[in-house]
Amino acid sequence: MNRGVLLLLWGWIVIWSIYSGRLDLLLRGAFHSLVGASGVALILAGIVMFHRSIGRRERTPWTWFAGAVMALLVLAIPPNPSFSDLASTRPEGLPEPPDLAFVLPPEQRTLTEWVRLLRAQPDPDLVEGNPVNISGFVLKREGQPPQIARLTVRCCLADATPAGLPVAWPDDANPTTNAWLSIQGHMAVETRQGIRRAVVVPTTITDIPRPERPLEP
Amino acid sequence: MATAWAIFQGLLLESLPFLLLGVLIAGLARWLVPQGTWIERLPKNPVLAPITGALMGFALPACECGNVPVARRLLASGAPLGTAFGFLFAAPVLNPIVLASTWAAFPDQRWLLIARPLGAFLLAVLLSLLLTRLSETQLLERALLSERRMSQPLSNLGLLERSSGLIGAPLDTKAPATPKRVSLGMVLDQSSREFLDLLALLVLGCVIAALVQTWLPRSWLLAVGSAPTLSILALMVLAIVVSVCSSVDAFLALGFAAQVTPGALLAFLLLGPVVDLKLAGLFTVLLTPKAIAITATAASLGVLLIGQWVNLWQL
Repeated sequence: MNRGVLLLLWGWIVIWSIYSGRLDLLLRGAFHSLVGASGVALILAGIVMFHRSIGRRERTPWTWFAGAVMALLVLAIPPNPSFSDLASTRPEGLPEPPDLAFVLPPEQRTLTEWVRLLRAQPDPDLVEGNPVNISGFVLKREGQPPQIARLTVRCCLADATPAGLPVAWPDDANPTTNAWLSIQGHMAVETRQGIRRAVVVPTTITDIPRPERPLEP
Repeated sequence: MATAWAIFQGLLLESLPFLLLGVLIAGLARWLVPQGTWIERLPKNPVLAPITGALMGFALPACECGNVPVARRLLASGAPLGTAFGFLFAAPVLNPIVLASTWAAFPDQRWLLIARPLGAFLLAVLLSLLLTRLSETQLLERALLSERRMSQPLSNLGLLERSSGLIGAPLDTKAPATPKRVSLGMVLDQSSREFLDLLALLVLGCVIAALVQTWLPRSWLLAVGSAPTLSILALMVLAIVVSVCSSVDAFLALGFAAQVTPGALLAFLLLGPVVDLKLAGLFTVLLTPKAIAITATAASLGVLLIGQWVNLWQL
């Protein structure tokens, strides 16, 4: 196989991943320009190598063929991760300081900002009655009621960290795992297994499509 | 399976620019500096060589994926083994990008800002001293070995190391003429081949890392976080499994820094850049399976000891 064609194929995969929005699902936004630059460099190198190799015969190692097959599979099968599966195998952790969450009015806080705030200030009475306007996916962990959650990444999906909030689901609600929901309501305090904690009490629950950048808070 | 497929793509697309950067740096070094001039000036002393290699990380900042092609180029060009190994093992940590990201992630833990580069440096010197006790034939992958011998004068090789056809041939002891700069076309030719070879191995490493990540719950590893020795072992396994680049692993470590012992945290930051599943494939273009096994074992033992010592001192 022509080396230039292989380089063009890999360059195309990178550029296509950005153009089709796949990268938003896989990597943190800060790395997108670096990935894009590597795609452009691969395409340029592919064009040059294609011209240089015209009329030349060269041995193609089987590893290049294997790489090309994997590249075609990447193009053909888009990523479709189960955020709930991913989150259920990871410990929760959002280490950034919660200053911004304290400054923002409650109804403007995102789900991750709520989680940071509640970890920094675990007294649930301080937020009782606050209005809540959040969105996230339904996370089901074994032996626990469903939560509304978000994933954040520091580089790529491999280090995704979940942040979830407990919800007092209405009796008629049947939250489906991985479904994206927008929830408006207020914070309340409930006692479970002797521990008082903040819980979201929804007034409206709306099904929403997965956001374009689901990994950003 | 869908989740493993997505993790694989995430790992691959995140590492690919760093691999390309490493191949570009190696190619540029080959083009700008005529072969033989600076390589010959590198120290061959068993202690000085890895120190020089480790310090070269400051000049060629890349994570571990990018360092493999640079180290391969150094070895193929005939650089002293100690220098190339010092660079290979220390540069993923001893470079400005990784030091800055560690500082950004842990501004309140100053001991870590000193302990991480120092630990990486010690580990690189240890691994280098250990590996250079093996002969080149036992140490280097076959294709790399042939490439390296082509760049060495015959007089530098032992009789047993020479190809059979060359024994008895007159030794060319004359100093080579002024080294010529290779053409840009030739550099592109070699670099593109190197990139595609390494990319196939990176793909393999990412497949393994994604499968293991999906099946192995991290909560199992972190459940033992507070035990002094178990926490170090658990975080070492996590570092091998997660396989993220050294330029971002400090941010990943933030996620569990509060739940584990300081020695375990340092172990995570030291072992990942030297040994992980993604690197396992890449290392096969440099080292023999025996040398890879020695590297993995010695690095793990070294990191375990460093982690234990830190726990004794910090806890």
